Amino acid sequence: MLTLRDIRKSYRIGPTEVDVLKGVSLEIQQGELVSIMGQSGCGKSTLMNIIGLLDRPTSGSFMLDGAEVSYSDDDALSEIRNQRIGFVFQQYFLLSRLTALENVALPLVYRGDTGTNSHDRCMELLKRVGMDDRANHRPNELSGGQQQRVAIARALVGNPSLILADEPTGALDTNVGGEIMELFKTLNAEEGITVVIITHDPGIARQCKRVAVMKDGVIVP
Amino acid sequence: MMIHPSHLKEAARSLLASKQRTILALIGIVIGIGSVIAMVSVGRIVQEESLRQFKEMGTDILTIEKEFGGGGPPGMQGAPGAAGGAAAKAALRLDTILAIPSRCPGIAAVAPSVRGSGDISFAGKKLERCSPMGVTASFLDINKLTMREGRFLSDLDEQSRYCVIGSQVAAELQKQGASKLAGSKIRIGNNLFTVIGVTNEVPQGGMRRFEPNEMIYLHITTGLRVFANAEIQSITARVSPGTTNNAARDQVMAYVASLGKGQAVRITSPEEIIAQMEKQMQMFTLLLGAIGSISLIVGGVGVMNVMLVSVTERRREIGIRRALGAKRGDIKGQFLIESIILSLIGGLLGIIFGIGASWLIAHFAKWQFALSFSAILLGVGVSNAVGIFFGYYPARQASLLDPIVALKSD
Ligand SMILES: Nc1ncnc2c1ncn2[C@@H]1O[C@H](COP(=O)(O)OP(=O)(O)OP(=O)(O)O)[C@@H](O)[C@H]1O
Ligand SMILES: [Mg+2]
Repeated sequence: MLTLRDIRKSYRIGPTEVDVLKGVSLEIQQGELVSIMGQSGCGKSTLMNIIGLLDRPTSGSFMLDGAEVSYSDDDALSEIRNQRIGFVFQQYFLLSRLTALENVALPLVYRGDTGTNSHDRCMELLKRVGMDDRANHRPNELSGGQQQRVAIARALVGNPSLILADEPTGALDTNVGGEIMELFKTLNAEEGITVVIITHDPGIARQCKRVAVMKDGVIVP
Repeated sequence: MMIHPSHLKEAARSLLASKQRTILALIGIVIGIGSVIAMVSVGRIVQEESLRQFKEMGTDILTIEKEFGGGGPPGMQGAPGAAGGAAAKAALRLDTILAIPSRCPGIAAVAPSVRGSGDISFAGKKLERCSPMGVTASFLDINKLTMREGRFLSDLDEQSRYCVIGSQVAAELQKQGASKLAGSKIRIGNNLFTVIGVTNEVPQGGMRRFEPNEMIYLHITTGLRVFANAEIQSITARVSPGTTNNAARDQVMAYVASLGKGQAVRITSPEEIIAQMEKQMQMFTLLLGAIGSISLIVGGVGVMNVMLVSVTERRREIGIRRALGAKRGDIKGQFLIESIILSLIGGLLGIIFGIGASWLIAHFAKWQFALSFSAILLGVGVSNAVGIFFGYYPARQASLLDPIVALKSD
């Protein structure tokens, strides 16, 4: 479903050019559950942001569902993020002024979909992650694990084919992290959603069908 | 960009989240919109008020005044004739004035008047705020005055020592202890006058060039004799039905010219007075408009500042929304809606403030208050425009943020 060829990313800091990704090539099939591991600072998040179309590579080719996307315009990328990708972040990134339900509904709002259908769909997903009884709570009234569940509901609400999770359990204890991981596994197994998880936890990585290891800006074979 | 109720709700919420800043930004808008609204609405009130007064007096009334020669200033009453240096034109004689209706078919009636001065007292006590004037019997009707008690001066009162007083003078007399108004004696200079009637109170302001409530009316022939340097300077004339004001004016002009010997008058019609008042209103409007625009700009800059700070503080939120699929236009729209709501709140407060101010002005000027819907529409429109104009730049800044940069910022 996605193919990266020789993806490079460099940042210019003052006079020096810092190469973060030094030619990443990676292929992920539809329905895979992949984890990406590697030392801190090796470029995992940078790669993930490029896959998630939040950032653009300096060079290289990125095919998503058979179409080259690295050079698409901003609106087209927004639409792909909205329709096909679900994000789960280490810091949850819920909007603090909105309730759990309203947070989950955000991707639908940007599709122009705010009716009762959308409300029902959001409740269904909150139920799915076990948070339907907290639908009207604000993020600051929820524990970290609960917030991450709401964030997962938000990632799923738009029926994406790809879920990108950057250290989704990084801020949670082992038990809660395990529960979150179970959720990802179920989604992958039951709905065939492609899931890519960045993690530092070998326990988590072990549960994935495939582990890609990064070192110094490249994927080690 | 789409506008959903949820967007409005969120905008309201985020504005509430930074109350202090929001309120500070609002002050400028409130003052700006407030003065614009006050301006428009006072303008409306004055316009309606003057129209109302014209209707009360009638639009068929011409004012004929003696033209002063050589462009010199009008001689002060009681001042020696041509003290200004330039020779004043010859005075209009009473009999030539009274002949106007018979010589000019366009004029139905004339009411010449002569103003006097001098100490006025009652029972040995000085009367303040009153002024004597010599008039004819026609004066009452042409000036739309009515009697409260007694009778007005008649043509048979020539050279008499009778007087008719305005309601304010009557009140003054009663305060000084007059038990009965009719028959009371008022001293003007060295002459004593007997009150024979009192006119009804007339609302303040208006088109009349005198204050009817403060007048002591004598017969014009008496006035011409007892007032120092008395000279007829103003004549009110009613135009005959079916004659236009202009036609009547031309007839009077021709008649006065036919008198020869440098006789000249200036004739003012109500239309001219209205036009002049409108010109004055325009100046007033321009002034308030300038104040309003300046405070609107200040207010708009305040809105822009609030929005710029808001964009900086909410970079993370912008990043999250972008990650979830918000397009640049969505972000731009979100911030624009916020600045429009902010300005509209200011606008609404300003409308209330402005209408309140115009109510107070009308109250103290004793004008009839009128609510101007065009002013309200203007207020809403202008505040909306301020919101869009000054919110556009911050909204655009927000929309141009790179998603990943926004998401990584704190
Ligand atoms: N905007 C940027 N400007 C300059 N350098 C950057 C920028 N973003 C990331 N980097 C650098 O790129 C490198 C990779 O960062 P990245 O966040 O991808 O690491 P990571 O593998 O996700 O680390 P961690 O496991 O700690 O999250 C780091 O050395 C970082 O300093
Ligand atoms: Mg990282």
